[in-house]
Amino acid sequence: MSAAAVAVGTLAVEARGLEHLYTGRRGLPAVSFALEAPGVAAVTGANGSGKSTLLRLLAGLLRPTAGRALVTVAGREVPPAARRAVLGFVSPELAFYEEFSCAENLAFVAEARGLRERRTAALAALDRVGLGARAGDRVAALSSGMRQRLRLAFAVLHRPPLLLLDEPGSHLDEEGRRLVERIVEEESRAGLVVIATNETRESGLAARRIELRGRGLGHPA
Amino acid sequence: MPHDGSSSVAAVWAILRKECRSEWRTRYGLNAALLFAVTTLTGVSFAVGRLPDRTDLLAALLWVVLLFAALASLAHAFVREVEGHTLTLLRLVASPTAIALGKLLFNLLFLAVLEAVTVPLFLLLMGGPPVRWGPFLLILGLGSVALAVTTTLVGAVVSQARGRGALFAAVSLPLLMVVLAAGVSGLRAQWDGNPIGAEARILLAYIAVVLGASVLLYDHLWED
Repeated sequence: MSAAAVAVGTLAVEARGLEHLYTGRRGLPAVSFALEAPGVAAVTGANGSGKSTLLRLLAGLLRPTAGRALVTVAGREVPPAARRAVLGFVSPELAFYEEFSCAENLAFVAEARGLRERRTAALAALDRVGLGARAGDRVAALSSGMRQRLRLAFAVLHRPPLLLLDEPGSHLDEEGRRLVERIVEEESRAGLVVIATNETRESGLAARRIELRGRGLGHPA
Repeated sequence: MPHDGSSSVAAVWAILRKECRSEWRTRYGLNAALLFAVTTLTGVSFAVGRLPDRTDLLAALLWVVLLFAALASLAHAFVREVEGHTLTLLRLVASPTAIALGKLLFNLLFLAVLEAVTVPLFLLLMGGPPVRWGPFLLILGLGSVALAVTTTLVGAVVSQARGRGALFAAVSLPLLMVVLAAGVSGLRAQWDGNPIGAEARILLAYIAVVLGASVLLYDHLWED
């Protein structure tokens, strides 16, 4: 389901008393909010306050210890197991297959997502993030900034209506940061973009801010 | 970007193709497995020669060689994703069940390639009574499927645990004993000219149970 396929304003994200505990420490203190597309929201807070955990919970990659994370399209809930179809995700921990080229990695993703014309989709996504000329290079040969661009290409490959971006500007140069701003601006016209960041430039892109007031650094539960 | 409406099948197929391409590029498992199988068979052949009338030893030796040659690679199907930090990417593009089925199909293909080299070499070096190809291939095939479903399931379950190597051995040992016992008994029976129905049924039932448990378990993996 692409951003274009979801009518403006029909995608919504809601947290109801959402909380997560890792073994022996608090990953995310209870938080509640509601967001609707189109738009941009920033999640801010101290290191360890739970920004990345919140995005993983919204993506369905983590199960909440308490509360609920809801993603709805046209009023119908998208269960966590099916959320991958409506979201794009960028995170510093997202890694690719080093033995494959950029294009091969994204073509695999496109194939697994059931996209038609996977090679074309992969190359278009790489062009969009400025990696078109490096499409044939193996991931092992990429710099950290190029890997971050590849993460952005991975997130927008299937044109999802929900983008969850965890520190999207990390490792990027000035041109890369402008690329992030452009992607956020374009994708938020129809969809919802949630950015976890402590960079004022990135949080400044958002009309709405969710500030996590946990005690940080994974405070013991 | 439109979907073709069969994303689960597409995901399984994509993961199978990805595994094959990755193995072809890295030769992570196949070279080591073939090296183990060939050197073991050659070594045993030098030491004891041909064993034309020891069907008990022949059956045990073939399964032990196949099991140990394949085990390292089969067990690492998921560990490679965890250690390469690519599991998050996989989870973002496919369901746990699709991931596991793709890995299972690759493990079956891996075993088939390994057996295509190992079994003819085994029969050439070790001798033995004439093979009854129907029963022989049936037991070998069912045993291979049982081996693959077991190692795929256990590998998926322990992949994110600390001490996963020890855990894999501890969990898979009792399960693999059933496969080994039925596989060895079945191969011996086919060489001795006896029926293999009981062994085939045990392996079929085992596959059905483990596959059923897998389908129930896979979608609950890696949630925390």
